[in-house]
Amino acid sequence: MRPEDVPQTEELKMASTATLVSKQGLVSTKSGEIAELFERWHRDEDPVAREALVRRFMPLARRLARRYERSSEPFEDLLQVASLGLLKALDRFDPSRGHPFSSFAVPTILGEMRRYFRDSGWSVHVPRGEQERALKVRDAQETFANEHGHAPTVNQLAEYLEVESGEVIEALQAIQAYEALSLDAPRPGADGDAMTYGEAVGHDDDRYELVELDATVSAVLERIPKRERMILRMRFVEDLTQTEIAARVGVSQMQVSRLLRRSLDQLRALTQDTKKAL
Amino acid sequence: MAQPPNIRLALSNRPENVVLVRETIAGLADAIELDAADLDDIRTAVTEACNNVVLHAYEGAEGALEVEIYSEAGACGVFVRDRGIGLQPRAHRDQWTVGIGLPVIEALAASVDFEETPGGGTEVRMRFATPGVRVLETPEQLLEPGDGTTEPGSTTTVTITPVAPLARSVLPRLLGVLAARANFSTDRISDAHLVADALSAHATDATSASHLTITVSIEPRNLELTLGPLDAGRARELISAGSDGVGDVLEKLSDRVGIEVDGSHELLDLTLTDPR
Repeated sequence: MRPEDVPQTEELKMASTATLVSKQGLVSTKSGEIAELFERWHRDEDPVAREALVRRFMPLARRLARRYERSSEPFEDLLQVASLGLLKALDRFDPSRGHPFSSFAVPTILGEMRRYFRDSGWSVHVPRGEQERALKVRDAQETFANEHGHAPTVNQLAEYLEVESGEVIEALQAIQAYEALSLDAPRPGADGDAMTYGEAVGHDDDRYELVELDATVSAVLERIPKRERMILRMRFVEDLTQTEIAARVGVSQMQVSRLLRRSLDQLRALTQDTKKAL
Repeated sequence: MAQPPNIRLALSNRPENVVLVRETIAGLADAIELDAADLDDIRTAVTEACNNVVLHAYEGAEGALEVEIYSEAGACGVFVRDRGIGLQPRAHRDQWTVGIGLPVIEALAASVDFEETPGGGTEVRMRFATPGVRVLETPEQLLEPGDGTTEPGSTTTVTITPVAPLARSVLPRLLGVLAARANFSTDRISDAHLVADALSAHATDATSASHLTITVSIEPRNLELTLGPLDAGRARELISAGSDGVGDVLEKLSDRVGIEVDGSHELLDLTLTDPR
């Protein structure tokens, strides 16, 4: 991107003022004025007219940039790309066709942003942004649970992180999906088996005998890893909350959640196999 | 779209329902292995359409927000419907230009059409090109057009077809969002995921119908959930099939489990609370 194409800070400040003005309905009432600015820019190459148009429509570019704010790109970069798209739209717009500028500018700006993401590896960036947010939510969850002794609600997390609750919900769902990316990968043990911090600390295995679980399926239970059995037992026999289990085992509640889901899935599959074998 | 919808959502136009629509689409995306960039575009466009219903369709009052989601070879459709003040597409267009919604949809969707909802209101029909997605089994013609009887308020009704793989990919997200909205702690939200996993793992065995409807009412720290139609005698099996080797997962994680008879079918009722 050529730096001279990008509106500088001063213009951006002025654009904020334009946002306030535009709420008064400039789109319709000042369309004659805008047409005149376009004429001065396209015909006379009057830089003052161009600047006025940039100021007028920068709020639009900013709004569109904000739509992609949850990606990992810094907002300033997104705004620059959107601004470049706006400048292209200003240059190419043909007022004689009678359409409002915004109907031409929005696809042009979005197109510029999408091209930018594509060039810089969109598919890599978006998940990373989500993953970063998921990590923040996980850390906030742990901090809150440590301070208060119980798990937070989504609203409490949203307040703590100063984000909208919808974003926290989406991050919580994303955490469930990040098994492969392993937000908190288990540490490999000496024998190559996965080993959690909890296991590294050591536990009295006798306390986690399977007898209190469903005896008829203990054969199946034995086929899943010990730490998962331990967590299942804490949740379903001792009736501990996931946060309490997390504190005992020394992992995050989110990981307890994922381990529970995974091991229940495994148990289901193994039980099915056993039934079929019978 | 050429075939009936795979997912139908009957919601109220409360702002918090937009995230539910977004998450449901993410659930479908998992099932059809939709590309992340395509998912992002679809969710951005659908968010705009839903926000329009939230903000403008009922002039500040509460009303229905109905969403139908279609998946076919190479294409997805999302239809967003209100039963509000019956804006003509033209008027919509002007109103939306102010809010930027429509240009965004037009930029992201392969096509967008407006239909009048019978009895008033507007349906926005967005179609998206989604090359290379996994094709779901074609649903039977079973989801009749919504009848507009959605009681505005805290009830959420979601119907999915085919039950596999959509139950597995949609129900956990759905219950997660609803548990969050009921102000559950993250502990109980995770439990809601486990309940949804258990239900979806065994739902296909418990019903011979090609669709599954889940209705959820929300009160603070309380979710009442109804799942069906299940074949006669199968609701009890679904509950005990949930045992999966660690006792009855459904009964342990729920505060109440019950069975309702509905004509020749059964419905499973579950209550989840977070008393803290």
